[in-house]
Amino acid sequence: MTARRETLLLFAPGLALLALGFLLPILRMLMLSVVGPDGITAVHFARFFQDSYYPSILWRTVRLSLIITVLTAAIGFPLAYIMSRVGLRLRLWLVVMVILPLMTSVVVRTFGWMVLLGRSGPIASTLRDHGLVGRGFSLMHTETAIVLGMVQVLLPFMVLTLLGSLARLDPRLEEAARTMGCSFLQSFRHVVLPLSLPGLVAGSLLVFTLSASSFVTPSLLGGARIEVLAASIYKSVTQTLDWNFAAAQAVILFAGVALVLIPYLRLTARHG
Amino acid sequence: MSDLSLSQIHKSFGRTEVLHGIDLDIRSGEFVSLLGASGCGKTTLLRIIAGLETVTRGTVRIGGRDVTGLPPEHRDIAMMFQSYALLPHLSAFENVRFPLRMRRRGSRAEQAERVERALETVRLADLGHRRPSQLSGGQQQRVALARAIVSNPQILLLDEPLSNLDARLREEMQVELIEIHRRLGLTTIFVTHDQDEALSLSDRVVLMNAGRVEQQGSPREIYAAPATSFASSFLGSANLLPVTVGPGPVARLADGQQLAIPAGQATPGERLLVLRQEDVEMLPAEKAGDLKARVAIRVYLGARHRYMLDLAGQRISVMAANSLLLEPGEEVALKVGRILLLAR
Repeated sequence: MTARRETLLLFAPGLALLALGFLLPILRMLMLSVVGPDGITAVHFARFFQDSYYPSILWRTVRLSLIITVLTAAIGFPLAYIMSRVGLRLRLWLVVMVILPLMTSVVVRTFGWMVLLGRSGPIASTLRDHGLVGRGFSLMHTETAIVLGMVQVLLPFMVLTLLGSLARLDPRLEEAARTMGCSFLQSFRHVVLPLSLPGLVAGSLLVFTLSASSFVTPSLLGGARIEVLAASIYKSVTQTLDWNFAAAQAVILFAGVALVLIPYLRLTARHG
Repeated sequence: MSDLSLSQIHKSFGRTEVLHGIDLDIRSGEFVSLLGASGCGKTTLLRIIAGLETVTRGTVRIGGRDVTGLPPEHRDIAMMFQSYALLPHLSAFENVRFPLRMRRRGSRAEQAERVERALETVRLADLGHRRPSQLSGGQQQRVALARAIVSNPQILLLDEPLSNLDARLREEMQVELIEIHRRLGLTTIFVTHDQDEALSLSDRVVLMNAGRVEQQGSPREIYAAPATSFASSFLGSANLLPVTVGPGPVARLADGQQLAIPAGQATPGERLLVLRQEDVEMLPAEKAGDLKARVAIRVYLGARHRYMLDLAGQRISVMAANSLLLEPGEEVALKVGRILLLAR
């Protein structure tokens, strides 16, 4: 057998899975979003934009995803940097610690946050004891709650992606920078950051898309009033059984995410 | 005035002490080699001077100022790494400008001019726009050198800078290093495990062994008068033979052969006889020599032959002109030129 045929053979299972599990449903969704009772129609999209309700949900989804991405990057970068610089043994333990939360269900973790953030939870009661907030204070059902929960859920993805590129960075480059007059922070800014940019971009893309499409954590922590688009799609499918409108919303979410990501990719391609 | 002064430098990693109290003073403009086998502590010492490694005990002074606790960026040094450590995301020009930019030396235009001059010094003036990945190993090495000299540091630290080059390029760079040192007069510390490099480049060789300074002196001194058996075996391909001196000005080898020695060195006792390759001449067996040996192996080197000889139960290595051709097993007479005896 030639190398070319072997390659094709190895490629086939993945390709088949991708076609069946991704391309087909996407095509089906695109079709659903534009068909109505009388053939091709744009009525589902028109409905989305007819008042500010759905656009505001879209905007919230994109805005929260951006905040979540920035926060996971800000928290994850120093963590991944330290992990890449410690000994292999300690690194393994840190990786286990970062991955450990992924081994429990996201629902369980979100319930944990509900306990922490609720009116009688430790955060609210501590703030209340110090007289910093009023009697009715609760972080539950706020955007802050969504961000907190999502950052915790998505941090492992950011850290592990960053670790991949930081671990490949030659520590002598930083030493060289120090001997050329850089302080620690300057060597970080001029050497570590630009050279780990691919990892940062990959991690950000992962976190952004995952948080834009997640709905369990946002709906549990944000409640019914603070809706994100994925939750709205879920509602259309399960409660109003309006598959066409659900498909239209999904297409709009897809386009919204793409609108944010494409300029970002362009920007980093120029710097890379 | 001394540019660098180390006193009683001790360094431990965990419970292992790797430097046991190093004292070293380096004059302004001097080119000093730290020579030793891998693991002798020479690179650790260089990193301590750079500030990349802290000392366990001792003081580092640069230009009279105590810098022991200062991080590298506050020391007036430049270092060239064995791996060159060029920044892959910057062009050669920007790599060379980096230390000027970070140390805020001069305006942008002045920096550009100094970078151009440094690149010219290493004969890379027209390749400044290239990324390190677009340069050959030798060119990358020149960029690293330009980057080290551009800020005109008080001390230039070179960590085995030539070890990744092939033999021809290495010789070329040695000559270039000598020229650059003569032109710029930078105080230079050069770490190497290559004795030829150390001897040919430096004003002074500091021979290190197991975390201590074994011997230091000019290349001539250290080669001609090694103080210890380690120094003699590390510098030059010396053969070491255990001998017994006396009675009288005579050294007795293990197989009973006797060698006349200068009266000045004839203190009776157990000694090591140092026979350098170039101090031993091979003669056909029928000629009168000082010692007799037997040929074990002959290696053709082009310009001459290297012979491994069996002498007093030991293998020694000797060079011979191509005109003398002896087969393994044949007897040979040895004429010994300079005789050096060390304490055993």
